[in-house]
Amino acid sequence: MTRHFLTTSAAVLALTAPAFAATKADVVANYADIAAAKYEDSLTTTKTLQAAVNALIENPSAEALHNAQGAWLASRVPYQQTEVYRFGNAIVDDWEGKVNAWPLDEGLIDYVDADYGGPTDENPLAALNIVANPSFEVAGETIDAADITPALLESLHEADGVEANVATGYHAIEFLLWGQDKNGHNHGAGDRPWTDFAAGDACTGDNCDRRAAYLKAATDLLVSDLEFMAAQWSADGEARSTVTGDADAGLVAILTGMGSLSYGEQAGERMRLGLLLNDPEEEHDCFSDNTHNSHYYDGLGIQNVYLGEYVRVDGSLVSGPSVSDLVAEVNADLDAELQGKLSTTMMSLGRIKTAAESGFSYDQMLERGNEAGEALVMGGVNGLVDQTKSIEAAVKALGLDSLAFEGSDSLDNPDAVFE
Amino acid sequence: MRMIAFAASLLLSTPVWAQDSAALVDTAITDHILPGFTSLANASEALKSAAATDCRSDSEALRTAYHKGFDAWMAVNHLRFGPTEADERAFALAFWPDTKGFTPKSLSKLIAAEDPVVADPAEFSEVSVAARGFFAMEFLLYDDRISQLGDDAYRCSLIQAVANDINRNADAILTDWQSTYATLMRTPSPEGPYTTDLAAVAELFKALDTGLQFNEEARLGRPLGTFDKPRPRRAEARRSGRSLQNISVSLSSLEQLASILSAQSPSPSDNLTAAFESALSHAEELQDDPVFAGVSDIQGRLRVEILQQYIGNIRDIVLQELGPALDVTAGFNALDGD
Repeated sequence: MTRHFLTTSAAVLALTAPAFAATKADVVANYADIAAAKYEDSLTTTKTLQAAVNALIENPSAEALHNAQGAWLASRVPYQQTEVYRFGNAIVDDWEGKVNAWPLDEGLIDYVDADYGGPTDENPLAALNIVANPSFEVAGETIDAADITPALLESLHEADGVEANVATGYHAIEFLLWGQDKNGHNHGAGDRPWTDFAAGDACTGDNCDRRAAYLKAATDLLVSDLEFMAAQWSADGEARSTVTGDADAGLVAILTGMGSLSYGEQAGERMRLGLLLNDPEEEHDCFSDNTHNSHYYDGLGIQNVYLGEYVRVDGSLVSGPSVSDLVAEVNADLDAELQGKLSTTMMSLGRIKTAAESGFSYDQMLERGNEAGEALVMGGVNGLVDQTKSIEAAVKALGLDSLAFEGSDSLDNPDAVFE
Repeated sequence: MRMIAFAASLLLSTPVWAQDSAALVDTAITDHILPGFTSLANASEALKSAAATDCRSDSEALRTAYHKGFDAWMAVNHLRFGPTEADERAFALAFWPDTKGFTPKSLSKLIAAEDPVVADPAEFSEVSVAARGFFAMEFLLYDDRISQLGDDAYRCSLIQAVANDINRNADAILTDWQSTYATLMRTPSPEGPYTTDLAAVAELFKALDTGLQFNEEARLGRPLGTFDKPRPRRAEARRSGRSLQNISVSLSSLEQLASILSAQSPSPSDNLTAAFESALSHAEELQDDPVFAGVSDIQGRLRVEILQQYIGNIRDIVLQELGPALDVTAGFNALDGD
């Protein structure tokens, strides 16, 4: 009996754990290498933005503002491709809110149009205007904001516990560089005049020195935040050792990141909701009208993590063993299906990008009754939803399902306090 | 040899002893889904008639019809797949949470402009989901500002348009279930949305889990906020005093679905029955705090947290006992992300 039992269980083990050509350890190591490259690229391009912001502040001009805007747009290309690292990696997710929080009540930061409205049910600080006020109250406490420093902005981020109080990160900087987009569903981005940063009598919008100080503090803070995250993925970084220390858990992190970003976050919160609300501000990069690129590079990040290859901002390629290789080993059809779906999504997101770049911008697509726009956006949503089903199948095919979903459950229910 | 086979099946970790997935799906459709959406269609028809008869925001008949309609929606709002997702019907029936105040904003805009879109049901179906459905109706009937805003006659037309739109969506969902989707779910095929009976069971399982999660994290989690910063104003449907009622109705319906899905799995079934009973009887004890205003003081907060914990316990059993018994997992859902 015992001998038979051993024979049977050995056979079962052999069936359930085939020898992978690409080892799981290689795959998670390559995943960490790609993360390191993406965050380093995000850091490099943000340092370029920092230089452009400093130049704008020292010597304000239309050209200097334009250069800073261009640098911001370039910095978004690698950063958006990192978003696929968020949901599976606690180190990234805990940190991400500081750098890419959205949507925001921009009246917290600077002047806004009269029809923006004042404080709301959800947010008493929606129209605070930090730039105009060297001192103000938050939840009954007086804040000294005479010097606008990175530390001050960090302390005001999510002020009063409201997530829409975004004081730091890419979107705060975006608002300072572009201003509100007042074109509604018509074509056109925010149009902040360069004189909002001008000295003396040339200054428009008041408090140009404080606005410049805010922009500088927010940019410096973004650089230091990205330095932190790049270090987490370096040779002895904690984010790297977390995924490489337990390859199965690392694979769960990869697939959780792909599925959560595809479905709940990008397809749902960022794309479908905007259509449902027909609201032109309900787009991810609403001040710069760069939403088509945000979506495109989010999708590309999902695809390149699955395929295990990433093109860096200097054009070089980081590539290695991938989840795709592992899935192909156990189920070649499923791998082909998932690769096909990721490509279909990229085609759909590419259509949105192409249309936006040729003059039909994302906020126009959201307008009530705009059928062409709705079809473009829904193409992306449908692709993302569809690929999520195959990602779930990949989790199962790799035998990670119990691990994946029990793991997320324990995050959802930290402790049974009242048991 | 039987012993050996038994040991081998344990190692494979799929203890599926002759589970009849098709029977589970069939019962869920016959006893849970179709009756639920039939009630919603009937209650929304009554709401439409009530609004046509008397559209004043303080009309007792209209308010009663609103509550009955909302109850009927809460009994099916976890069934977010297939017919509810076509043409954004579920979002149009209930847009919540509304973290940026889109509902009051878009209603104010329609009222201020006296937008003629209310005259045409087809055009009204293109209006932002935030200005349609039960939450828009709640603002029109119960919000101090919106219920008095602008011209009475226009607001009356808007209330009627919202009621008609709710009824149109409820009818469309029921029609789709009756004419096609029930069959698609009962008869899996390579071309259909479900390739196997087990895939259809997985859909129902996901609906059960997501429904519980939404009660726990959104309906209770949002007003609870943090200990230092409770958020009573974020309670769902607080203006019409329905925050607790929504959870009670939803839980009762989820209990029915859980009991159908666990019919062939005795152990999870007993545990689920006990866990639902604890949660529902605790909800009963909370009747004196229908909108969770108590989250702001320590005692009141504790009572609401306990309800949240009871729902968390149900979810643990669903994920850790029922899921393995059915050989399905919850996968990704719309609450992933941030």
